[in-house]
Amino acid sequence: MQKYISQQNFTALLDALIKQGTRVVAPKLNAGTVLYEPLAAAGEMVADQLPRRSGKEAFFPLCEEIMSYEKTGQQVALTDIDPARFPETVLIGVRPCDAAAIPVLDAVFSWDYKDEFFLERRRKTTVVGLACTTADDACFCTAVGISPAETRGSDLFLSPLVGGGYRCESYSDKGEALINSHSALFAEPSGAEALPLAEPQTEKFDLKKVKAWLDEHFEDPAWDSIATRCVGCGACAFVCPACHCFDIVDEGTEKKGKRRKSWDACGFWKFTHHASGHNPRDQQPKRYRNRIMHKFKYYDDKFGQTLCTGCGRCIRLCPVGIDIAAIVEEISKKEV
Amino acid sequence: MTQSIDTSSYSAITEAIQAEAQRVLGDGTVTAVIGYAAARRKGSAQPIVISQADDAARLIFTPACVNNLAVYLTKAKKEIPRNGRIGIVVKGCDLKALVGLMGESQLKRENLYLIGIPCSGVLASTIQPDTELTADTLASKCRECDAHQPTGCDFVPPQLPVAPELEKKYQAEISRLEALTPAERWAYWKEQFAKCIKCYACRQVCPFCFCEQCLCDRNKPQMVETTPRPAGNTAWHIVRAMHLAGRCAGCAECERVCPMDIPLNLLNRKMAKELKELFDYEAGFEVNDKGPLTMFTEKDDQSFIK
Repeated sequence: MQKYISQQNFTALLDALIKQGTRVVAPKLNAGTVLYEPLAAAGEMVADQLPRRSGKEAFFPLCEEIMSYEKTGQQVALTDIDPARFPETVLIGVRPCDAAAIPVLDAVFSWDYKDEFFLERRRKTTVVGLACTTADDACFCTAVGISPAETRGSDLFLSPLVGGGYRCESYSDKGEALINSHSALFAEPSGAEALPLAEPQTEKFDLKKVKAWLDEHFEDPAWDSIATRCVGCGACAFVCPACHCFDIVDEGTEKKGKRRKSWDACGFWKFTHHASGHNPRDQQPKRYRNRIMHKFKYYDDKFGQTLCTGCGRCIRLCPVGIDIAAIVEEISKKEV
Repeated sequence: MTQSIDTSSYSAITEAIQAEAQRVLGDGTVTAVIGYAAARRKGSAQPIVISQADDAARLIFTPACVNNLAVYLTKAKKEIPRNGRIGIVVKGCDLKALVGLMGESQLKRENLYLIGIPCSGVLASTIQPDTELTADTLASKCRECDAHQPTGCDFVPPQLPVAPELEKKYQAEISRLEALTPAERWAYWKEQFAKCIKCYACRQVCPFCFCEQCLCDRNKPQMVETTPRPAGNTAWHIVRAMHLAGRCAGCAECERVCPMDIPLNLLNRKMAKELKELFDYEAGFEVNDKGPLTMFTEKDDQSFIK
């Protein structure tokens, strides 16, 4: 289904959704930094900036409680979280690189174990993608096979038009339902042209060739030259739309506390530290190697896709300038 | 109009450090040189470790050479080979960290070959590394730099740093926060710490965060909540600020790398100000094996004992 919505009606749509109690999550300025956050009013949405963190946290929050415990004498009371209480959500203004990562996460969280926290939020969320009209030289979505108009992962997709407003195309029942629920705000598609799409400059990677090299080079001196500089923080993984590792810890006292799940990162020394004291990834290049292997080999082995959508956040924010696009390009030029 | 910062000397500085690195690697003075090299994005730079004289031509100095490379010489970073003397490219602010590490018996001067940079300043953020260096894009720390010209190095290119007098942003911001009521100040920091995602980039780039196992990574017992929530975030940043008091010399790497834009250097500058007022002490200028917080003298201020 294709429709048109004017800028004014778009604002009205967000306000109407908020008013009816739907959680509307969109890029918003938060103490100086743009993040995907729940809006209190449509005017808070910042449409022209890629949020600092990705959209994954709408389904996979930075930190969430999964259980609580309380000990009284010999009795321990455990209280589960009821996912049925998660709110109906519209995630709107999602960049194609963030939206395309959502099906990538779906595959992991519904594989051998069904993660009810992720899946229930996913069921209750309508994803509204937004075509990208600006790119910087860290952007490389086109290099990993998606585009600034990629609709994968979106239930409804918005293309900004010359002269204002958006062309809206639905790609699922949820997208159609969103249009139908406020149909008066949508009109038939106009003849207006879409704004020119962003043009990321990185050349398309030969991902098959990259994987073929990774298949054979778990041990290779290249890892040292690539990642001796890595200082071992989690910035790359935490801003990534596709990284999905998490840790589970109990916090509180012996008597009372909560079990919490929070993001983890393979760059951390502690990530593979065994209880025995042994650490199979004892040096930083081995940890960084895992980041590349997971994105361009392991995930592909298991799910037939790449675990990277080219958003460029890890490039912009790496404290030591590690550039995943440059690394993958370098690997693609190596003899297998 | 925005005042531009004159970095015309940086290309001559680049040539000078290339020649010096080639010489000291070639004649065996050092086994490796830690410096900066150009990266893929226009104007970008990244740390590099070279061990061949031929690779000296890769070294650069530009406004994007923001990193404090001293972090690579700490015991927390085991990836850099430690055989023989190591060359390192240092700005004046980075040198203060090395001085501190020598005072804490982490490094020996004779094991280092210091290639100093007469630095006029670097970029505040390298999210867009090809940005021109101006009073607006200059790192805040550079606005109040007292070490444009590093001293006590083994080699410094002859170019002189150019440093216009600029308004001191940290000083102004600290004064603003000091003038708030405790409740207002608490509200400010609560909002800032709430943004923390516990990626530990601040810790990982800090030359003084060299503990092999950080107290805040422990879970038996758990000293600080590790999940990114307000209480644990606040505890983490305050523990870190206290642990750096009298040691941090203000390279501001923690603040630069924070993906959530938390103004962490304000905490460190505030602690440094307290140390200056209470003990007339400034970190990073000379090798002291006893900082003011690691020893007691009868002259110490005791007014806090009621």
